[in-house]
Amino acid sequence: MILYDYVLSASCYKVRLMAALLGVRLEVKAVNFHPARDHKSAEMLRLNPQGTLPVLVDGDLVLTQSANMLRHLARQNAPQWLGEASGQIDPWLDFAGELNASLGMARLHDVLGFDADIVQVRRDGIRQLRKMEAHLAEQRFAGMGFLAGVAPTIADIACFPNTALAPDGGVSLDPYPSIRLWMRAIRSVPGFVEMPGIHRLHELAPAPERSR
Amino acid sequence: MPGRIDGQDIAIWRGASGQVHAWGDRCPHRGMRLSHGFVRGETLACIYHGWQYDADGGCDHIPAHPNLVPPKTICATTYSCAESDDVIWVALRPTDEKCPSLAGLRGVRSLTIDAAAEQVASHFGQAVNAILRLGTADNITLALQPMDADHCTAHALSDARADRTDVSRWLEHQRRVIEGQPA
Amino acid sequence: MTPEVANHWYPVGMCSGIHGAQATQLLGQSITLGKTGGQFWVRDAGGKALPVIERFGHLWTSPGQPNRDLFTIPEAETPGRRLVDCGSVRVKCSPLRAVENFLDIAHFPFVHTDILGAEPHTEVERYDVDIREEVDEVWATKVKFFQPQAAKSAEGGITTEYMYRVPAPTCAVLYKTCPPRPGEWDVITLFVQPLTEELCEVWPWMALYDDDTPMADLVSFQQMIFMQDRSILENQIPRKLPLDPGMEVPTQADLTSIAYRRWLKRTGYTYGAQVVAA
Repeated sequence: MILYDYVLSASCYKVRLMAALLGVRLEVKAVNFHPARDHKSAEMLRLNPQGTLPVLVDGDLVLTQSANMLRHLARQNAPQWLGEASGQIDPWLDFAGELNASLGMARLHDVLGFDADIVQVRRDGIRQLRKMEAHLAEQRFAGMGFLAGVAPTIADIACFPNTALAPDGGVSLDPYPSIRLWMRAIRSVPGFVEMPGIHRLHELAPAPERSR
Repeated sequence: MPGRIDGQDIAIWRGASGQVHAWGDRCPHRGMRLSHGFVRGETLACIYHGWQYDADGGCDHIPAHPNLVPPKTICATTYSCAESDDVIWVALRPTDEKCPSLAGLRGVRSLTIDAAAEQVASHFGQAVNAILRLGTADNITLALQPMDADHCTAHALSDARADRTDVSRWLEHQRRVIEGQPA
Repeated sequence: MTPEVANHWYPVGMCSGIHGAQATQLLGQSITLGKTGGQFWVRDAGGKALPVIERFGHLWTSPGQPNRDLFTIPEAETPGRRLVDCGSVRVKCSPLRAVENFLDIAHFPFVHTDILGAEPHTEVERYDVDIREEVDEVWATKVKFFQPQAAKSAEGGITTEYMYRVPAPTCAVLYKTCPPRPGEWDVITLFVQPLTEELCEVWPWMALYDDDTPMADLVSFQQMIFMQDRSILENQIPRKLPLDPGMEVPTQADLTSIAYRRWLKRTGYTYGAQVVAA
């Protein structure tokens, strides 16, 4: 499977993270999104006329929506990641799209200088974070640590990147203790990989011996 | 985890033994926020250069100089911190006061509100106080953390038998009213 | 704005990325820049033309009267190198904090974990630092550090040697041993455009001996490293760089930073610096 990837893209990271958690090896092809805008190159437009990243190619199958990539990876490798009922999962995949339009856009504005109504996208992002915070608190009352149950699903992977990267776009995660617990739970899943802006949880590795 | 009290940024962390600590949210080395750091045993390490601070706030390990015993002068700012009845209490100034008792109640959740603590208290018809007992059937009680002129966090508790989801949704509603958003 | 700050050259764009007119900021002032008939130009808010230099793939200007040419990097001009335009990343921090972080190796194991450094190889051995009066630059040499993944093909770690050079207050050049060409140095730079005292546009640029790695991978690697630093830089308190001792505690590993701060203070470069009131 080939992933056309941009290292700073939250959507590309969803796919890298899902693959890593499933132990699937991806052939990652870096695309120079910034500064060269190679995602709009003739070669990339042939593959994906919408000119967006990521693009996942599996044999004859070409996927251009990250939610579909998560479904595809889970279906082929570990269907438990699809959750028990798609009715519990799909709304969160849509929600992840909303996060991308709000927090994701705030981040592109603050990091790469994209044009955006920064006040509005941050405000939208905060409203969505509050919604997620309330939901995760209720999940915890019911003994569940993830968006759709006791175990992580593609819903969590879809929502995690833009949430965890919110501070890149000037949106603090300080007010959301349930979200922070949830992020910690995701980061503790065996096989988790970071992306720039999400640092390593050094406490998960054994402390090195001190020479002194 | 990060916190803010009266405009002061605080790093709150729990050692492996369960002991909680509240420090100024700043590593003395390069000013990095300690709340981004990581806990190893009974030490908190800064994420930037891995400097480790023991339970007293003193730096006890500098990874760039593993054989050096750090001078006693390198230390984080520490505050009194205690845990009682599901709530962590911090005092920015030394105090003999004991934490208020909230025995019999159970923590529900912590809500940050875009309003000053005074405004939250007056919404519930009370004077601003660390503890607001709202007199509801579920004995909903707020431990109020004043953050700055425009923000506070309400740490909500209720009877152990109460349905926490109901309490949580009621709190969300109250927050919308306090913040003046359409309910 | 004092002459000590105004009379320097600053990067304001990547030559390959400038087409029509575009607006940006420099030292808190609005400027416009663009390309007309193959010529680059920069104007201040009042429409006055500012001097321009094209160098290292970037456009440079100055709001003051620089009394010398923009620095050069002779090593980057040797034939056979690939010049890598990395674009820019915006950071909510002091331009001086961005440079100082670039000069620091002790954070590699914690911020660039398993890439530029890894526990338990955290020790920073003594290295040489001097302020070279004749060229008015800060240099750190014989800097050695364990690097777990020196190159994609490299198995296991190696000790990498670095040299750091600060040729201007908001620019730094890193020379790094080059695995395919022992005896040569790869050149990696950080050009910082101060938008304000607490906001900057950072333009990394590289001149490497590497004929094999696709360009997109080289850019991606550099952006990955810098974005790992960004979440640190946006969380340092205070945002401005304290030039006076007392506020922060340096150790021997921070000799480059100590010299950098001393040099800034001595030359009166205070934009983005926190100076204790007299």
